[in-house]
Amino acid sequence: MNITEKAKKIADSCRFCWMCRHICPIGNATGLERNTARARALGVSLVVRNATKIDEIADNIYECALCGACTNNCMTGWDPKVFVRETRAQLALENKLPTYITKLIENYINCGNIYGDDVCDCIKDDLTEKSADTLVFMGEDAVIKSPNSVKNVKSLLTKAGVNFTFNQNNDAGSSIYFLTGKTNETLETAKKAATLMNKYKTVVVYDPVDLSMILHEYKEWGIEIKAKIIGFNEYVLGLIESGALKVNKSNAEYTLQDNFAYARELDDLNYGRKLIEKVGVVKDVLLIRKEANLAGNLIMNEYMPEVIKAVALNRLEEARRMGCKVIVTENPAEYEILKSNKQDDVRVISIEEMILENI
Amino acid sequence: MNDFLFTQILTELEDAVGRENCSVKEIDKVTHSVDYFWLSRMWADRGRKMPEADFIVSPKDAQETSKVMKIANYYKLPVTTWGGGGGTQGGAIPVCGGILLDTKRMNKIYEVNTDSMYIECGAGAIYKHVEWAANEKGYATMHYPSSLTCSTVGGFLAHRGIGVVSTKYGKIDDMVLQMEVVLPNGDIINTSSAPKHAAGPDLNQIFIGSEGTLGVITKAQMRIYEQPEVRRFRGFLFKDMSSAFKASKEILQKFKPSVMRLYDEAETVSLIKKIVGVAKPGAFMNIAYEGVKEIVDVEEKILLETFNKYGAEDLGSEYGEKWWKEKITFFYPGHMMDLPQMFGTMDTIAPYDKIEKIYYEMKKAVETNFPQAKFIAHFSHWYEWGCMIYDRFIIDEKDVPKDPVEAMRLHNAMWNLGVRTAIANGGVVNDHHGVGFKLGRLMKEQYGPAMQVFEGLKKSLDPNGIMNPFKLGL
Repeated sequence: MNITEKAKKIADSCRFCWMCRHICPIGNATGLERNTARARALGVSLVVRNATKIDEIADNIYECALCGACTNNCMTGWDPKVFVRETRAQLALENKLPTYITKLIENYINCGNIYGDDVCDCIKDDLTEKSADTLVFMGEDAVIKSPNSVKNVKSLLTKAGVNFTFNQNNDAGSSIYFLTGKTNETLETAKKAATLMNKYKTVVVYDPVDLSMILHEYKEWGIEIKAKIIGFNEYVLGLIESGALKVNKSNAEYTLQDNFAYARELDDLNYGRKLIEKVGVVKDVLLIRKEANLAGNLIMNEYMPEVIKAVALNRLEEARRMGCKVIVTENPAEYEILKSNKQDDVRVISIEEMILENI
Repeated sequence: MNDFLFTQILTELEDAVGRENCSVKEIDKVTHSVDYFWLSRMWADRGRKMPEADFIVSPKDAQETSKVMKIANYYKLPVTTWGGGGGTQGGAIPVCGGILLDTKRMNKIYEVNTDSMYIECGAGAIYKHVEWAANEKGYATMHYPSSLTCSTVGGFLAHRGIGVVSTKYGKIDDMVLQMEVVLPNGDIINTSSAPKHAAGPDLNQIFIGSEGTLGVITKAQMRIYEQPEVRRFRGFLFKDMSSAFKASKEILQKFKPSVMRLYDEAETVSLIKKIVGVAKPGAFMNIAYEGVKEIVDVEEKILLETFNKYGAEDLGSEYGEKWWKEKITFFYPGHMMDLPQMFGTMDTIAPYDKIEKIYYEMKKAVETNFPQAKFIAHFSHWYEWGCMIYDRFIIDEKDVPKDPVEAMRLHNAMWNLGVRTAIANGGVVNDHHGVGFKLGRLMKEQYGPAMQVFEGLKKSLDPNGIMNPFKLGL
């Protein structure tokens, strides 16, 4: 198998280490031994040693959400995401992708997004480019799967008097990167997104998964970004602190669903919590900040919906046990998945919905 | 097994646990073929295939487990129970194929009972998750082994595990109130409703440590404790181990610290110097004591007076606090011994009047017969009457045979020598990692005719011999 020495070394280190299994949201949802970093590493290491075939490990490689909980937990600093991404790229190169992944890639080629869905009519006009210095880059998940997020962001920024525009291209390359790792398709998509962003002075990136890719992978791959890139939470906090957005503070309790990209991959300074503090009180649940527990993934929901449902229900159960009444999400995937599985006694809202309710 | 019969059994197992919870996929077989046992890891590292189960099943509760047992008994298929697979003794390896019963779907936290101070949970719950459930209510399980995040409640019970605060709070067998067990014939039983009684022998203690040879533990009530008001640490440097043993025995007649770890000189130099920063020769001892502040104040006074009497140098609290923070770090790759090294922990336990001799005899035996091996030890679980040795041998890559068969030969020879030396001097086969596949052959050497008690239980409960064959010497 043609993966880097770095990926091989990580796999060889992780294959006999059990230390992070308790923190994997997928493993905790399925209870399956194979849904652990060590099992994936063992599989990869056996393929490298020609003791098993890459086809045998393909499904398991796609059962990883790449949320980095295992990476964060590792005291030695190994990053299992590296060999997972590289193995995905290798499966793509060898035409050995599972059929359900091939279907998503075909959607991507034919429809422009992996879901194969059209943009909802209710936001089509909103996405038309206007003249502005600031681009709000919503991301593919939001535009295709969470039109309410687009509407709410528009409403919030309009109330703040921001001169901004959306665009019809909202693909940073995150979804194709998730599915196939660093392939030519991923690079081309990223370059196209960068060209768009560089037309603006400021780009507000709504989805932290996109933000992480733009700030980290684009840089690593030599894709230049001249625009000022800012995360949505930080941008909204700035609007409140500058007085552009006036909010009311109450004693209402909100529980932040820390997104893994903000919490673990970006140098996020708790903007989500600071936003909650502007309008209410933070009520924390177990597994927060760097230890954030994933609550949903829209791409995996396409091919393993029952598991993603179990992931969301686990998180809702944790919140319920801790007496949390309102969960505030930071990205569209967790918002949509949690909302679609929510129970009567726990409310799920997005961070922009929370602000809008308190203006 | 022919395809026809194989498929018939597969459909019956799918009927028992649900199709999605029964796998014959290669990835699931491979994943369950290697546990933390050095030999299984070495075998896989050399590109050799470990024995695999034919069916991987994940029942959700005792009822589904019972159905699996009935199928296994009818077709006389081996059943190997797998919790987290974090055991070092090969106890979870399906050496004879058959059914691998993974317990992790039985991970439900049923109840956190703060009236009687226990958590009722499925045996497949990872212990760290049980700890979180206790923490949510302000309590703690006080079971903190290095495998806390790796292993399940059932795994710890089946192998008689222990954690770092055992001296005060006990071993896993002290921490369980009641268990639900599925017998090999499929009957579901509960042990007595309280762990202390005069209603015959203790059923809990028959199944604890039975390593899946007598049945499958499916549910347990595990004790929880109040969080200590204070937890204090103190490091000491004794001039030698003898004075540390005397001082520790005396302390344990007066009160129970939570942590007591005494390192031999070799380990003091190699491990503690690197991680904690102590550079002085001698025998380093780390003590923690905890609970209600007023009581801990008194304990601290007794500790300092007693250890001072035996010439211990007080190193303050810094070392212990750092150790507590890093107590699990030792076990991550890069911090721990790893392949291509050969290594093993030959933990044993004995009364105070034997423990020191066992240590020196084992050290001498290993170093004399295997000069390529390094021998280090610490003593980390203490009682009023004795303590355990956590002694390790390490052989560097250059001295480990490249041929896996020769590597196995050397590995087993070292274990035979080390454990036989412990037994000959009054120790036991193992303290808290269990017996598994690794040490089964040595059980008869320890127990002699007493082994027939275990064999009688086995024969009576598992007449077809399907439960975890070749483990525990049964």
